[in-house]
Amino acid sequence: MVFEPIAVDDAEAPKYIGVSDPQDVGATETELLECLRAGEERCFEILVRHLGPLVLATAKRYLRSEADTADCFQDTFLAIFEGINKFEQRSSLRTWVRGITINQCLMRIRKQKRRQEESIEHLLPVFDENGNRMDMSGMIRPSALGASIDTTHVKRIVREKINELPDDYRLVLLLRDIDGYTTKETAAILRIRINAVKTRLHRARSALKSLLTPVLAYGE
Amino acid sequence: MLTCKEFDDFMVDYLEGGLPVWQKFMYWLHVKMCRECANFIRQYRRVIALGQQAFDSPDSAVPDSVPEELIKAALAHLKSS
Repeated sequence: MVFEPIAVDDAEAPKYIGVSDPQDVGATETELLECLRAGEERCFEILVRHLGPLVLATAKRYLRSEADTADCFQDTFLAIFEGINKFEQRSSLRTWVRGITINQCLMRIRKQKRRQEESIEHLLPVFDENGNRMDMSGMIRPSALGASIDTTHVKRIVREKINELPDDYRLVLLLRDIDGYTTKETAAILRIRINAVKTRLHRARSALKSLLTPVLAYGE
Repeated sequence: MLTCKEFDDFMVDYLEGGLPVWQKFMYWLHVKMCRECANFIRQYRRVIALGQQAFDSPDSAVPDSVPEELIKAALAHLKSS
């Protein structure tokens, strides 16, 4: 079976709260865009309130601190309003906004002094001199865990473990596996080579697999 | 036959469907012959799925509403800019 990344575009057509009345549901993306491009202040508020949850969730995924997330939230909407006239509607507004949010997050991460991050070498597969696999984590059985895990708990653990990965690996994993960008797109966003994306992605997934051994053991 | 190390080196290409047919066959053959690698790739795929499920969709973990102070701060930031 070939792994297919999730689509970047949202499955459902975006619905916007009314342009004239924040309680009214049904204004189209085009109407909202026209209103924003006309510089009407009330439309800015509608957009912030409507797409705020998307921007906040995306920023929380990429940034580790709440203060950075809050600053990024503000900067993202500023970037949206500054760039709204350049938006050509080749993707949905939500997809475009998510892209801007991710860019803002990455700019913030790049600006920050790189923190000393732990090596993930100990989490990667081990091979003998003949190239035979030596790690036996794949052989762990359900009894290794014992207690039951509910889905919400598993999701929280997975998010925590992804967050434990060093940024070089975490960002590739988020862009590629979670936000559904292609390998080529991920390389362009991170300004690295395609082969570097592939290598980091494989190491990120392998390290995450090691970190999630108890979860995997339970679900086997 | 591929070694486990070679199998590991091209896993991303394999899962993306980017390998030539003969190499894909070698991969398939290795999975059939090597229990450790078969287990590894099964769990590796599950890790990808778990990662996606952890966020459900790119919008997941979306809070129902954004804290009012954050919205007000963003609007104030816009006005001041």
